[in-house]
Amino acid sequence: MAKPTVAFFKFSSCAGCQLSVLNLEPVLLDLVGTIDIRYFVMAKRENFEGPYTIGFVEGAVTSPKELLELKKIREECSILVAMGSCACHGGLPSIKNYCGMTQKEMEEKVYTELWDLNSIPAYGIDYYVKVDAYLRGCPMDKGEFVELVKSALKGVNPLFRNHSICNECKLKENNCLLLQGIPCMGPVTAAGCGAQCPSRGRGCEGCRGPASDCNAASLARTFADIGLSKDDVVRKFRKYAGNTPEFSKGAEAL
Amino acid sequence: MSDRRVFVDYIARTEGDGAIDIIIGPNGEIKKARWEVWEPPRFFESFMIGRKYDEVPEIVQRICGICPHAHHLAAVKAVERAMGVKVSRQTNLLRELLHYGDWIQSHTLHVYCLAAPDYLGYESVLAMAGDADLLPIVKQALALKRLANDMSVVIQGNEIQNRTSVVGGFTSVPSASDLKKLQEQLKEAKEFAFGTAKLAAQLASQSPYPDLVRKCEHVALHNEEKYPINEGRLVSTEGLDVPDWEYPQWILEKHVPGCNCLHAVIKGRDSLMVGPLARVNNNFDQLSADAKAVAKEVGFSAPSFNPFHSIIARALETLHAIDTSIALIDELGEPKYEEPKYEIKAGEGYAITEAARGICCHGGKIDKDGVCKAWDIVAPTSRNVYNLEKDFEYFVPKLLNLSDEELTLKCEMMIRNYDPCQSCATHSIKVNLRREG
Repeated sequence: MAKPTVAFFKFSSCAGCQLSVLNLEPVLLDLVGTIDIRYFVMAKRENFEGPYTIGFVEGAVTSPKELLELKKIREECSILVAMGSCACHGGLPSIKNYCGMTQKEMEEKVYTELWDLNSIPAYGIDYYVKVDAYLRGCPMDKGEFVELVKSALKGVNPLFRNHSICNECKLKENNCLLLQGIPCMGPVTAAGCGAQCPSRGRGCEGCRGPASDCNAASLARTFADIGLSKDDVVRKFRKYAGNTPEFSKGAEAL
Repeated sequence: MSDRRVFVDYIARTEGDGAIDIIIGPNGEIKKARWEVWEPPRFFESFMIGRKYDEVPEIVQRICGICPHAHHLAAVKAVERAMGVKVSRQTNLLRELLHYGDWIQSHTLHVYCLAAPDYLGYESVLAMAGDADLLPIVKQALALKRLANDMSVVIQGNEIQNRTSVVGGFTSVPSASDLKKLQEQLKEAKEFAFGTAKLAAQLASQSPYPDLVRKCEHVALHNEEKYPINEGRLVSTEGLDVPDWEYPQWILEKHVPGCNCLHAVIKGRDSLMVGPLARVNNNFDQLSADAKAVAKEVGFSAPSFNPFHSIIARALETLHAIDTSIALIDELGEPKYEEPKYEIKAGEGYAITEAARGICCHGGKIDKDGVCKAWDIVAPTSRNVYNLEKDFEYFVPKLLNLSDEELTLKCEMMIRNYDPCQSCATHSIKVNLRREG
């Protein structure tokens, strides 16, 4: 069987998810042996045109140029994967969609020459094209990346279960942070990271986006009960996945 | 007679999207030398307004996936200065160890995965791994990068975006036994780090690199007591010496005719270089004893104004980072959990850390409710763009006998010398090479 051809693309983001691929050191060379990396500008000087079997896209779409590239990438890739928070849900760049400033006001705060900026609201890639799989998190989870590549090689669906982070805390026997009055997005956020933040005494910030069937409005009211202001609650839900209908319910609950 | 043009629309083996455009006239004169960043703006400085003080370090570390800790720690310090927060000695030691781990990761990634393929004639480190002679070196390099990533996981829970470092300290601290394990591995990694310094010096000694010297102002933090990573005064090889929080008064931006991006200059002078070479040039005496000894052994002396010596500076700093991390782990002993304690206060604060690729400045205003009212970000790569364009203008005429393909590669290497982080550099940065003649 021919090796699947793989491509990595980057839109508006920090390159941390692509770096996570290079951070697979113990299995990196084995993994590279099972696939044919045809396009990965951050790691290689020789890159080739599509089509590709799997395309991984990091970053949010924030410019018309990126949108045109995304549509071409969708046509070139049999399997299109959103890699990381920004590609899945718009990520941190999507904060600008809700910050109360017009695009022009934001541009004027940072730049003096505005004529070639052409920035548009930040969305995840499935706002524009069909996406076949999601690697959530900021940064994405490397284990899930390897799981996805292995599944693609076997021709099966990877089993990513989007139950809430609370399940992972229970399995780890963590003391609940919410019960201690520490704001935690765990109850509404999709598991898969191993509850990295709550296990270290820090409230979940929701970087993996909404868990299935989450009740964000209820968590928003709980946040108010433990002393968060309305603005604080909005900030919690309009951060990594503020574009999603689920987290929007939390942001608009009070 | 037509122009000769070097054009590279995506610069490989750098972080983020940029391009080169150089046009050379018929008499070998440089008509245009530009490095442009395609990277679309994300407006961090705008959407930071209205966020809470404790979100600022969480958010700004996402500017860059390769130097997240530099951004994070500069922002943490700036917020702490704004609100008058004092942190414990243990917190400072942990922050230093966290950041040295980031340097080892970033420098090893750069030396072996991004730069070495250029000097050895491979398109990527993956292609290098296909050579039976080089495979063991690639494996050792990946092992050192693994160790650096493990440092990050032990200290803060994730390889990239930090989970536990917050304003006032840490939400949890690493165990002494985990730190001891890291220390053992760091001791074992020293031999490979010595080898890296020798390899780097050997690579940079190939023709034409030793002839590519250009004096310019090298800017870094400086600290008499120790090598600067998280704290120091802002100094330069031209005599700048000011407190770090004064950076907005000294590092300025100006419009250069014919270009719509802003160029970084030192007040009253010209372009500047930041990064490992600038740091080594300003702080050679503060390097670890073994790093200084290996520098002498490979014939490197500071100050060096050859930007191709950046790879040597990275190797020296890697060795220094390993030595210092070993000492820091001894100093930390058994870290105890300390609850971050402070009061939210209105104020203004600025701070600089040394990212692996150069000074990283953050600062702004916090109001009495802890809400951010303004935030300023000066990332290292954007400081280097103007200086890089001057490298093009000075070095390309010396390399006109090369084929277009070779010349293009050399121009790309001039960029990779700076280990650019183009995600941070959206305020400025593109290579097309075109010759007339």
